[in-house]
Amino acid sequence: MSRVDGTVLFAWDDGALVKAKVTQCALSRVCGACGGSLARPVAFVGTAEEVGRNAFHAPPLHEACAADVRRLLDPSWETVLTGGFEFVRPAKHDEDKRPTFEPNSLL
Amino acid sequence: MAIADVKEYCHLTPEEVEQIGAELDAIRAEIEESRGDADAAYINRVITVQRWMAAAARIGMIVSSPMDKKVRGPVLAASAVSLGLAKILENMEIGHNVMHGQWDWMNDPEIHSSTWEWDTGQPAEQWKHSHNYIHHQFTNVLGFDNDIGYGVLRMAREQKWHPVNLGQPVYNALLASLFQWGVALHDLDLEAIRKGKKDPKEMKRQLKQIAKKGRNQILKDYVLYPALSGKQWRSTLKANATANVMRNVWSYLIIFCGHFPDGALHFTEDELEDETRSEWYLRQVLGTANFEGGKLLHVMSGNLGYQIEHHLFPDLPSNRYAEISVKVRALCDKYDIPYTTGPLHRQYGQVLRVIHKLSLPNKLTQDDKPPTGKDITVEHGRRQDEERQQRRLELGGWSRSAS
Repeated sequence: MSRVDGTVLFAWDDGALVKAKVTQCALSRVCGACGGSLARPVAFVGTAEEVGRNAFHAPPLHEACAADVRRLLDPSWETVLTGGFEFVRPAKHDEDKRPTFEPNSLL
Repeated sequence: MAIADVKEYCHLTPEEVEQIGAELDAIRAEIEESRGDADAAYINRVITVQRWMAAAARIGMIVSSPMDKKVRGPVLAASAVSLGLAKILENMEIGHNVMHGQWDWMNDPEIHSSTWEWDTGQPAEQWKHSHNYIHHQFTNVLGFDNDIGYGVLRMAREQKWHPVNLGQPVYNALLASLFQWGVALHDLDLEAIRKGKKDPKEMKRQLKQIAKKGRNQILKDYVLYPALSGKQWRSTLKANATANVMRNVWSYLIIFCGHFPDGALHFTEDELEDETRSEWYLRQVLGTANFEGGKLLHVMSGNLGYQIEHHLFPDLPSNRYAEISVKVRALCDKYDIPYTTGPLHRQYGQVLRVIHKLSLPNKLTQDDKPPTGKDITVEHGRRQDEERQQRRLELGGWSRSAS
């Protein structure tokens, strides 16, 4: 299992999200950073735009791991906490072919 | 065969496929918007009932120990049945569904996919990998979905026959009665361990988890509670074993009826990677099978009698599957897509027929379901997670430049 050690993030490869790992995080309910079982609350990180439309590309994270991800990938990202989330697969007509996460019980 | 090559699907135009997807999206949105207090009350009620049943059973076993044999027997039998039903309810309607995240929206610290640990041998974390991810993402895809026979049974004609398959009827009976332990080992991938393919570090971690969980299960049912019954410890031990076998056989039956009746199709990995949401929906409909029954049967089955609806929306509350099923069935009728269902006894009869037929080489038996494709053979062994994943860059420059 990968751990946040400054270079390794479970669902990212060279700073880019790996689709299959994103799906694995969503369904296995594991953290996108450390690969361990998620805890409550679930954290999502993203741009202000993602926060505004409540749809995130990055997979669910532990609250502490979210801080690591922001530090390692983009300190301008914001963190949102939630009890649960919807995993939305891309549809054929979507321009953006990435799955998204929609927090459903924001804290 | 890829979803686009499935006969039952070929009559649909690409626009119709997307329209089906949009209609299923609308069903999902409707449930998401309307879920609330009534649903929360439902799951809390089920948990309360389950805990009372388990408590009554445990107390019954203890207080009956000094009683006269004539009274003790019926009390013990009732306690064993009550405990068996409580375990079934806990595993099927509560544990399985909570771990799918069906109730995470309640934001309840206890009824949450990240915290629930269920009353069975498999650690919750491993279940969420082997079931929520591997089985639900790769449903009925040969060589990908490890639930096709659980690595013990040959359940598809495309799986290569081996003389060891002749013993299937026996393995099936053993799997049913020892189901909790079969499931406990499911995510380990024994074949990969035997071939030396399994990451030793991960194997050690998983084995440690299983040993800890299994030890606790054994201590609880076969040491602690029997000890509380004093001289009658043997009777309590037997009652607990009976309850575990009841739960094992029932969960096996329900799970096998979800994917192995004649109407549930198998697929190959073609196009899996580029599958759209609508195509994913269709694979779930065509790869699963429902069974019919009353409300009590559905609750005791974790609402997996609505297996099609569960596979379409694994994280929507299970108490809503009945109303969803009416809409999904109407949708299937509208677009002339098969919706496999039938009474439980018929569905299991078909499962048994598959198990017995596939214990023999293909040339000795006939196929009962539409063929998956021409000359497809799946070798033994599972794919590791790394083999399931192709590297795809998703976020583009904006995240790479920040790293």
